[in-house]
Amino acid sequence: MSDATLLNLVLFLPVIGMGLLLRVPSSRGDVIRGLTFWVMVAQFALCVWLYARFDAADPGLQFATRLPWIADWGVYYLIGLDGYNVLLVLLTAFLGPLVVASAFTAITKDVKLFYSMVLLIQFTMVGTFLAQDLFLFYLFWEAMLIPMFLIIGIWGGERRIYATLKFVLYTAFGSILMLAALIYLVVSLQATSGITSFAFADLYKANLPLDVQVILLAAFGLSFAIKVPMVPLHTWLPDAHVEAPTAGSVILAGVLLKMGTYGFMKLGFPLFPQATQMLAPVIATLAVISIVYGACLALVQTDIKKIIAYSSISHLGYVMLGLTTFNLLGIQGAVMQMVSHGLVAGGLFLMVGMVYERCHTRDLAAYGGLARILPVYSVFFVILTLASIGLPTTSGFTGEFLVLLGAFAAGWPQFAQGDALPLTLAVVAVSGVVLGALYMLWLAQRLLFGATRAPHQPFADLNGRERAILAAIVVAVFALGLFPNEPMSKTEVAARHYQRLVTAVPAAPIALGNQQ
Amino acid sequence: MNATLIFTAMLPEHILLAGIVLLVLLEVAAGKPRAALAIGILTAASACAAALILSLQSFGAAPFEGHLSVDPSALLAKALVLALAIPVLLISRDEFSDRQFHILVLCALYGICLMVSADSFLTLFLGLELLSLPVYVLVLLAFRRPQSAEAALKYLVLGGTASATLLMGAALLFGWGGTLETAAFARALGSSDGLALAGAALVVTAFFLKAAIVPFHAWAPDAYEGASVPVTAFMATIVKAGVLFAAARLFAEAPLVRPMADLVFILPLASIVWGNLAAMRQQSFRRMIAYSSIAHAGYLFYAFLGEGALRFQAVAFYLLAYGVMNVLAFASLPPDGDDKARDRLDNLKGLFHRKPYAAVTIAIAMLSLAGLPPFPGFIAKFLIFKNVIAAGFTLYAVLGLVGSYLGIYFYLRVVQFLFMSPEEATANRGTPGRFALGAGALCLAVGVVMSVIPGWVLGWL
Repeated sequence: MSDATLLNLVLFLPVIGMGLLLRVPSSRGDVIRGLTFWVMVAQFALCVWLYARFDAADPGLQFATRLPWIADWGVYYLIGLDGYNVLLVLLTAFLGPLVVASAFTAITKDVKLFYSMVLLIQFTMVGTFLAQDLFLFYLFWEAMLIPMFLIIGIWGGERRIYATLKFVLYTAFGSILMLAALIYLVVSLQATSGITSFAFADLYKANLPLDVQVILLAAFGLSFAIKVPMVPLHTWLPDAHVEAPTAGSVILAGVLLKMGTYGFMKLGFPLFPQATQMLAPVIATLAVISIVYGACLALVQTDIKKIIAYSSISHLGYVMLGLTTFNLLGIQGAVMQMVSHGLVAGGLFLMVGMVYERCHTRDLAAYGGLARILPVYSVFFVILTLASIGLPTTSGFTGEFLVLLGAFAAGWPQFAQGDALPLTLAVVAVSGVVLGALYMLWLAQRLLFGATRAPHQPFADLNGRERAILAAIVVAVFALGLFPNEPMSKTEVAARHYQRLVTAVPAAPIALGNQQ
Repeated sequence: MNATLIFTAMLPEHILLAGIVLLVLLEVAAGKPRAALAIGILTAASACAAALILSLQSFGAAPFEGHLSVDPSALLAKALVLALAIPVLLISRDEFSDRQFHILVLCALYGICLMVSADSFLTLFLGLELLSLPVYVLVLLAFRRPQSAEAALKYLVLGGTASATLLMGAALLFGWGGTLETAAFARALGSSDGLALAGAALVVTAFFLKAAIVPFHAWAPDAYEGASVPVTAFMATIVKAGVLFAAARLFAEAPLVRPMADLVFILPLASIVWGNLAAMRQQSFRRMIAYSSIAHAGYLFYAFLGEGALRFQAVAFYLLAYGVMNVLAFASLPPDGDDKARDRLDNLKGLFHRKPYAAVTIAIAMLSLAGLPPFPGFIAKFLIFKNVIAAGFTLYAVLGLVGSYLGIYFYLRVVQFLFMSPEEATANRGTPGRFALGAGALCLAVGVVMSVIPGWVLGWL
């Protein structure tokens, strides 16, 4: 099989898995779990193979498939890997089996429907990343809402209906404006250049007047900013996270939020470069507000899940800050931060789920001194906490550090020219790191240390399945922290491409030379 | 005029007529009522096949010059409407086993066939009446409930108003242009003459009334709730399709300019917004579908803001997507001895645990009607708004899209009931009949084709 066929297989494996699930009787929970798990493992294996074969020097689309779909409209089934999506697809496929495995004992109701929905959302998420045609992208982007609506709404906590409706209605509002904007974009491309196409590569050439660009960026940006989420559009996130089942939280934090930042990087900013240049200070300011505000909110929460949920808002603020630096350091840092956050926040949500499964409360006050009764759990928790803070050798460090470096590198020259804003933002963003350390260490301290306290003791430490899940994440966290060159070499072409599109000047060698 | 030509050009109509006559004769002879369904479906299917074959051969003729002519798109419209009638007839099996129902349905279909090939207001009026009168009776047919009589009467009075409005508009257009040909309407659209505009506006209003556009929508919720499930499905899909195809023929490719463009934008927008808002608090499934159909009529009239040559395709694709998904929802609704109980939205609570497949298909229908991808309703909506934006009415399109956003909530509410609510103790446990299952499977198959290979379907339209 050619690699392009394999990429299609990566995309459609979850659908095949769903088809197989239909044939399994609902009573056979073990078969359903096993089947879903191995489908996800197979998908991940294929992704690793393709990642290994991915040519870091090739700026074009790799393993691409292009088939006419709605020929009259210029819509193609166009998928492929490039530097933008290669890590995110890998991340999605990596988290897939872990999400499935984490739900083995947690989900006992409507098991078949649950795993079908997990497979469906996996399909739509991978599809969103792989799509290189705006129509296809939108299709996957919007279709993702349906399985998530059900996952939160059926298997969620007490206020699950409220949370899931809030999530869907928030997201759908952004999407509807994006839909209007994308139609307008395609129509104006056709009017100005005569090309009828939804392909990203063609749309980059649209070259619209500035006022139109601003409006369209606002429409696309609203949709992406809700997904990221950026303050002040973040209020759906804590509700959705808290009410979602563990698997749902992991999917949300691990992959779904990255769709927003990926959308900005792949579409929002490069499609409307002049508007982006003009609005960059506003977006960067919002990003820094998200960093600080998210961290402050995380400080005052008493629900463990909410702390991690708000920390996501803070961490994704770095991604947005990195993307608006327009230098290679910041952009590469943003990409690394996306992947790192997916692993770390995903892992933390898994850990919250594991303790919730044992004690059925997420109230921080109910816990204390778990280190004594759950030593293995505590080791993993501390590692992920440190990764979340961004300790060197963990993945969190690579991302945050590069973003901050990029922000300062962009801020200094502008400061010299009399514009103090970018530098101020960079300085304030650093305080987010301090706040991050504060709330995460405080969480770990209250949860793991001090007088031993738990809703009902004794309960067992992590079993083999849980250890294996967390070990996989921790290995990935250290791998990214110790050897960031390898993944960053694969995304460098895309980072340069993004930089060139947004700044509309040929990529110059950056001042700090080596990007590490 | 050549008799063979008349025979060929109006073959679908003749087949319908033959079916009607046969059913009437059987009614007189009082044979077994069983055969009625078979005759009804066979008639609709063969008429559909005839229309489709003629359309594929690019057949065009004017058997009654100036009054009635057929062209491939008129034939295609007939074929689509007749095809939609098949699943509607299938779901009627569990409620109506008598011949009256089928006679009335075939009469209404005949009326639609006349409407979509009308060249003069006379033919159009004839078709409209032939469509409307049987539907009034159909609403009344569920006379098990007193509501039905009230609903039918309301529908009759407002339908009569629509007919009168159409005649009035036609009269004004006649006074302006000196002709009863419908082409006068298309010319009047671009005119600045007061008389012409008034006439055109009245004709449009008549169509708004029949399609239940705000503020002429008040009859729809009552009529839909009062009628029985198959009749509601018939009104929501086929009557709406007939009216919209007739409107598409009337508007033809005439460019829409102000002030007519504003009329064709403001009232449909009001329908989208109000239909979606009012649907949110309904307790009756059919009443909710009525408000949903009011909103969908709004999207459909948006299609006329698009460029002339693209209108028919947009309307046809939308009607097909909307029609099959509506019938799918009705076909999957579990039957109950008590019609009122069947209609309660609360009865759908926890349906997934009783009947997973029914719940999944209703959910698919709802999500498609909400316009969420990857379902055909999304592609249909995309096509309409793409045409509107391409024609330069960007602001109108944005407002329409935001209006469509308002609808997402009440469709999701149904999905929420199906999957997330605890089961109601009193909920119905009936099993759908084989015919309803067949109708559902048919609609689902069409829906799948429309979402997997929409390009292929669009190529046909």
